[in-house]
Amino acid sequence: MRVARCAVLLAATAVVAWPGQGKAQGTSVPLDSATAAVIAPIIDQARAARLPVDLLYVKAREGQVRRVPLTAIESAVRALAQRLYAANEALAPNPSEQELRAAADAMKAGVPVETLRAMRKAGKDGSLAVPLGVLTELVVSGVPVEKASMQVVDLLNHGAVPKNFIALNERVQQDVLAGRRPEESLDLRLKGIFPTLPQPAQATGDGFIQSTTPKRPR
Amino acid sequence: MREERDEMIDRIVDELKTLPAVPADATARVLARVDAARRGDGPGTSATDDDDVIYFPTNTEEMRAVQMPAGGSRVDGGLRRRFVVSLPAALGYALAATLAGFLIRGALPRKATAVAVAPSAPVGETSGVTTPLTRVAATKRDQQDAPVPVQFVLDAKRAASVAVVGDFNAWDATATPLVKDSVSGIWSGLVKVNPGRHVYAFLVNGREWTLDPRAPRTKDSDYGTEQSVMIVGLP
Repeated sequence: MRVARCAVLLAATAVVAWPGQGKAQGTSVPLDSATAAVIAPIIDQARAARLPVDLLYVKAREGQVRRVPLTAIESAVRALAQRLYAANEALAPNPSEQELRAAADAMKAGVPVETLRAMRKAGKDGSLAVPLGVLTELVVSGVPVEKASMQVVDLLNHGAVPKNFIALNERVQQDVLAGRRPEESLDLRLKGIFPTLPQPAQATGDGFIQSTTPKRPR
Repeated sequence: MREERDEMIDRIVDELKTLPAVPADATARVLARVDAARRGDGPGTSATDDDDVIYFPTNTEEMRAVQMPAGGSRVDGGLRRRFVVSLPAALGYALAATLAGFLIRGALPRKATAVAVAPSAPVGETSGVTTPLTRVAATKRDQQDAPVPVQFVLDAKRAASVAVVGDFNAWDATATPLVKDSVSGIWSGLVKVNPGRHVYAFLVNGREWTLDPRAPRTKDSDYGTEQSVMIVGLP
């Protein structure tokens, strides 16, 4: 009978303990054995650093369903892991998984880690997932990374929240589809965003936005 | 007092003997318990730990076997055992199992702990303190990171099946199938997606990768493929 009790306890313990382990091992992302074997060392290192390894599994899965060579998958997963390490450090102390994913994407687009640190400082306790996503989209659309980074940090300094960034992105994308240059559109649309923020920037006589916070040196 | 108790026990034993469904073995066990009680032996002194075990027959053959034991052999070998535990003990087991489970998992959830990771900390080690400020931060961030319903739409009247695949569903073609509107022939589906920038595509008939004509496109530098892009968040 005591054996039965121990068995029940062990089973219950396993039920509590194992779901998280299964998810961490990416059971929700099925991979073929060859791909799983190739990325296993990268996954182990990332797990040891407490990074969200599901993101790495998803990247590998994408390559697998697109039928890209195994070497390309390994290279992509390794590069993503390195970006996650850097993002995790830049967005300390406790970045969310969405923030890390967004930061890794932004870094792939060319956003420097200094911008990530500045965004964390300016964004205070809010999520950076959307601001980072919009920054990435602006850069990918053709806005110079320095200018896009500076403006996004400036928006955060003025209390912008995710909905402000989404509105900005939608308007810029509409302008770009209409044939306007992305950089020019960003300047134009910021004039419509800043006055709506909790700490609005002041407009100068010539119609340009004059930020009330010091600009980060380029 | 002792005589009154013996009379009561005798009456109970007599009643038990008159009941046909009670196995003879059970009656003998009751009598054995009575004798043990008279001798002053507690139930916990039983070497077989029978105090939390009930033996009972599961069918008529077993019932018959119980009532007619053969050759003095133990008759409960083919019987089903039922585990009976008191409620406090069960709660104790559950609590112990839960705690042990969390210990095995290594820690509480990442966001709830809000432990600062020092940039210079070695791999696998954390340092720092939990403060009320970081707890509030985690709460606000959690609210802003809550999944948002997103509708995907594709005009593909001749398609037999359409699914959306992207980084939000691990590029799983079976995870998010779209449904065809019988009147318009338009495929659509609602998916909860975490806020942020996401890349995706439609998989038509299970093999044709199709970009969203309603969304901007981007080229993924890792795999060299084109994808549709969306920024998700509450407007």
